[in-house]
Amino acid sequence: MKFSYSWLTEHLKTNAHFEEIKNKLTSIGLEVEDIQDTGKAYQDFIVGEVLEEKKHPNADKLKLCKVDIGKEKVDVVCGAPNVEKGMKVVYAPVGSTIPINQMKIKAAKIRGVESYGMMCSEYELGISNEHDGIIRLEEKETVGRSFSEIYGLSDIVIEIGITPNRQDCLGVKGIARDLASAGMGELLERKISREKGSFKSPIKIEIQDNKICSAFAGRYFRNVKNTESPEWLKNKLKSIGLRPISALVDITNFVMYDENRPLHVYDADKIVGKIIVRTANDGESFLALDEKDYYLKNGMCVIADEKKVLGLGGIMGGESTGCSTETKNVLLESALFDEISTAKTGRNLSILSDARYRFERGIDPNSTLKGIDLATQLILEICGGECSEVELAGNIKENKNEVSTSSSYISKRLGFKVSDKELISILSSLGIETSQTGDVIKCSIPSWRQDIHGEADISEEVIRIKGYENIPTSNIRLKSKINKNILNYAQKKLMKARHFIASIEYDELVTFSFTDSKNCEVFGDINKLKIVNPISEDLDILRPNLLPNLLQAIKKNKNRNFDSFSIFEIGSQYRSTSPEDQLNVACGIKSGIKTEKSWKNIQTIFDIYDVKQDLTSLIDYLMPGNKKISVSNDCPSWYHPGRSGSIKINNSVIAGYFGELHPRVASQFKIKNKINIFELYLDELPNTEKKTTNKPVLNLSDFQIVTRDFAFVIDKKVKSEEVVTSAFKVDKELIRNVEIFDLFEDDSLGKDKKSIAIKVTLQSNEKTLAENDISEISSKIIKSVEKSTSGTVRS
Amino acid sequence: MKDFRELEAEIKKASDKFTNIESINEFRIKFLGKKGIISLEMKELASLSGEERKQHAEKLNKIKDSVLEIIASKTEELNSEELEKKLKSETLDITLSTSKSYGTIHPISQVIEEVITIFGDLDFFVAEGPEVETDYNNFTALNTSEHHPARQMHDTFYVETETDGMPNVLRTHTSPVQIRSMLKQKPPIRLIAPGKTFRCDNDQTHSPMFHQVEGLVIDQESNMSHLKGCLEIFLKTFFETDKLNMRFRPSHFPFTEPSAEVDIGYTKKGNQLIIGEGEDWLEILGCGMVHPNVLENVNINSNEYQGYAFGMGIERLAMLKYGISDLRTFFDSDLRWNKHYGFSPLNIPSIIGDLS
Repeated sequence: MKFSYSWLTEHLKTNAHFEEIKNKLTSIGLEVEDIQDTGKAYQDFIVGEVLEEKKHPNADKLKLCKVDIGKEKVDVVCGAPNVEKGMKVVYAPVGSTIPINQMKIKAAKIRGVESYGMMCSEYELGISNEHDGIIRLEEKETVGRSFSEIYGLSDIVIEIGITPNRQDCLGVKGIARDLASAGMGELLERKISREKGSFKSPIKIEIQDNKICSAFAGRYFRNVKNTESPEWLKNKLKSIGLRPISALVDITNFVMYDENRPLHVYDADKIVGKIIVRTANDGESFLALDEKDYYLKNGMCVIADEKKVLGLGGIMGGESTGCSTETKNVLLESALFDEISTAKTGRNLSILSDARYRFERGIDPNSTLKGIDLATQLILEICGGECSEVELAGNIKENKNEVSTSSSYISKRLGFKVSDKELISILSSLGIETSQTGDVIKCSIPSWRQDIHGEADISEEVIRIKGYENIPTSNIRLKSKINKNILNYAQKKLMKARHFIASIEYDELVTFSFTDSKNCEVFGDINKLKIVNPISEDLDILRPNLLPNLLQAIKKNKNRNFDSFSIFEIGSQYRSTSPEDQLNVACGIKSGIKTEKSWKNIQTIFDIYDVKQDLTSLIDYLMPGNKKISVSNDCPSWYHPGRSGSIKINNSVIAGYFGELHPRVASQFKIKNKINIFELYLDELPNTEKKTTNKPVLNLSDFQIVTRDFAFVIDKKVKSEEVVTSAFKVDKELIRNVEIFDLFEDDSLGKDKKSIAIKVTLQSNEKTLAENDISEISSKIIKSVEKSTSGTVRS
Repeated sequence: MKDFRELEAEIKKASDKFTNIESINEFRIKFLGKKGIISLEMKELASLSGEERKQHAEKLNKIKDSVLEIIASKTEELNSEELEKKLKSETLDITLSTSKSYGTIHPISQVIEEVITIFGDLDFFVAEGPEVETDYNNFTALNTSEHHPARQMHDTFYVETETDGMPNVLRTHTSPVQIRSMLKQKPPIRLIAPGKTFRCDNDQTHSPMFHQVEGLVIDQESNMSHLKGCLEIFLKTFFETDKLNMRFRPSHFPFTEPSAEVDIGYTKKGNQLIIGEGEDWLEILGCGMVHPNVLENVNINSNEYQGYAFGMGIERLAMLKYGISDLRTFFDSDLRWNKHYGFSPLNIPSIIGDLS
């Protein structure tokens, strides 16, 4: 909301400095967002008259002018095409600063001719985009007059942010009222004469649905002249950025910004029969004042006559009854439209208008007739003519809210003592009448405050006027804890996972929760993930998986010359757009160069064993202690079917996957590198929260450790893990570890055969193993492995 | 009595000629070997008797000890010479190097962990809610009815699923976690809820996805002065400063009454933003006393209980604290940015150690 300081002082008698008022506005909740001291910026510019105009001797497009500026006559070189003798212009003297570019005017020789000052266009003055020529002022303007006076710019324009609850401050008067309440002066009442009207309005008004419009006051004016508005009115509107249109329209705008009372004027000669306030019928349409056709739906509030829709109640008038300079007879409307219905219709049709903005926030019912009075006075004064009596349909209900409170409630909420006396005094400064019975203070809320409904609202009024800076600061540390845990198990797991993954060289990314449906069919059911109003076409679904955005990130960074990627994200992916279908996943990618070729190393590249190791060590970190991790080949379709595995914990659920990205998916994302991925479904990890802080008992054996190596030739398709497990199970006590130390594939072994070599570590808790103990267990190992892998031991 | 002077002289003579370990070995064999001079003399002791044997033995043992000592010290000397020689030849170019790198933690995660650490110390637990929310939790229960003008300030993303006949939304703020938590838990309540939030807005200063942290305290006495105390501790700790100009301004949120916006003071020195001091104000968060209607919506008696809530933008906190100038870079996945602004995984925010 914009207003000028001079406009404010029409409503507020104050001795306060501007600075004080500015600070007070913010401290009572009317946050000052911008201040423009236009008076200062324009103080040097004055009216000049071009006395002579001739061609510049050395330049075709320049003209040499003699300009009368009152106290003297100066030579000015000018390049504007429209400069001519006798023209009244805006003159910028030497030493002034041009607002648009902050250029300081100096006396200068232009192409060999002295020039003192400059004649300005609206563009140069920062008033509009008009830069085709210099400003042509009206001929009657006096030479030497301050330009800012003519344009109404000798003022300070203040812009404040109005929160949705403060409908009362959408007019200058309301702002003045609030400042007065906060001790910044005295609210002035505008003197408005109340015209009775000399005849009955020939246009009757009928409200068919009083839910959408509870009251509609109309007044007929005959023989008005819809001229240009007087300078004071035009300048007022211009000062707050509104374009003057015609006296009638300007008057309604003025009343809206002054009293927060939206009005509308109809060309009465274009109304057929009576005015009917009703709900629209499906399929009706009308041409609004913004020159757009709107198609209406049942339930919307329209103002109609007996033939057609004239306007959308509380939102926008129609072109068909708009006022022009020819308009002679008008109907002035001041109505009370329903907040919700106005909000709905406005949103449905996407119309933003000043009237809608105000009606959906609630309008002071008492302004209905006051607005008519103020507008009547101005119309008669500016446009002449005669007015009818006011025709009122419906009821103006005051709906005075009553709220009971007490100083103890207010004190308890605000955190410091507020006495009855102080409370009552603050409330009365706000126009809230009070009556006290015992501790209870009954408040009667004035009609302009539609936002005060309960005691909590009263507490806000008190602290707002008293000042938020007066709230003390209290300690919030508690004597005893109220929460057993700050983070729960799942949250700790997430945080641990993040730090662990980053510690093994991955950079954490945070990408959008949206992604492009185009490449995502493979990851989930994109039809279940649609966003109704996406920000752009390529962010049209919730991500079914973390991979698509990470793959995009790889592509982007590849273009930035990165050739080694270790990136991860921990976040949510979605099965559908139901609130419960959100999963926590950690997803990491390693791709490209693992070790750079150097004086010490040869170049190596990442493969699936890197991500497998990362995934299993991550699981180990998150779930310390005994567990059984098994790997199988059943991976989702975005993995390379032969180079991927799923990880099962304790033979129950699948907790994650690792492997190479399916080449088809890679090519969809236009990625040529091999992408090695791990995914860990964090919600699936069994809860292994510590039940005791004790570690398991440690059993150490001091007897000698023995190792034996074995090699087996087995079919290629047999998983090497089978060799390990079948060796292990021979003697769970003696066999401490089984490890594969060599893998060898060669045709000399036979077709589709491979050789796996294992190192078995043996130790007893009871004795040093003798040679025959060792050979006995060795032959058992060989038998067991040969049996379960159908392989043969190599000797 | 036998005079061992000759033997001693011979020992001395031989021990001057050591050049390497082998010569020491020869020396040892010559005197202490099975057929060494001293060993043979020892054998002869058996033929002596009485006092003479005792005296001879004593003398011989002394000589034997001196030989052992010569061997030990000379060996030590020679080894040490050898090592010195070896060390001189064993040089590596220490200007060569290899590197070990860690990954990085994203600034958003870092700031969320810092916030959790500070509030955790004040006994706030971390609550959560889903990113797809019901219209009721996101708006209605928070005292923002269907046609409330405040809804228009939230450019809401809608999805195709519905709850109770209303389309579900991507939560526009973390405040619905208040509702979920209060339905689950009775007062006293102290919680924060960090998380992702979404608004249909995309320009230089808006991102369609961003992060917030919500705070909620409900008990029988928490009031505006506690809210002020709470935010003061938080902001001072977070910005790691003892001086903090803080300003409360009235504002409006449908779910708090009174509502306030909080500004903190700052000055600019060159390109650096110094938080805490100075005449200029930066808006940092919104807060207020929980509206009684919100408490009633979650079946908490608003005559008995009251409390405060606050919400702030994680990205904004990160930008101000770490001097990140552009909001949109957080989600750009430019690895140069991540490596520059990211944090070491070993540096877990702590109240007793370093927060950042």
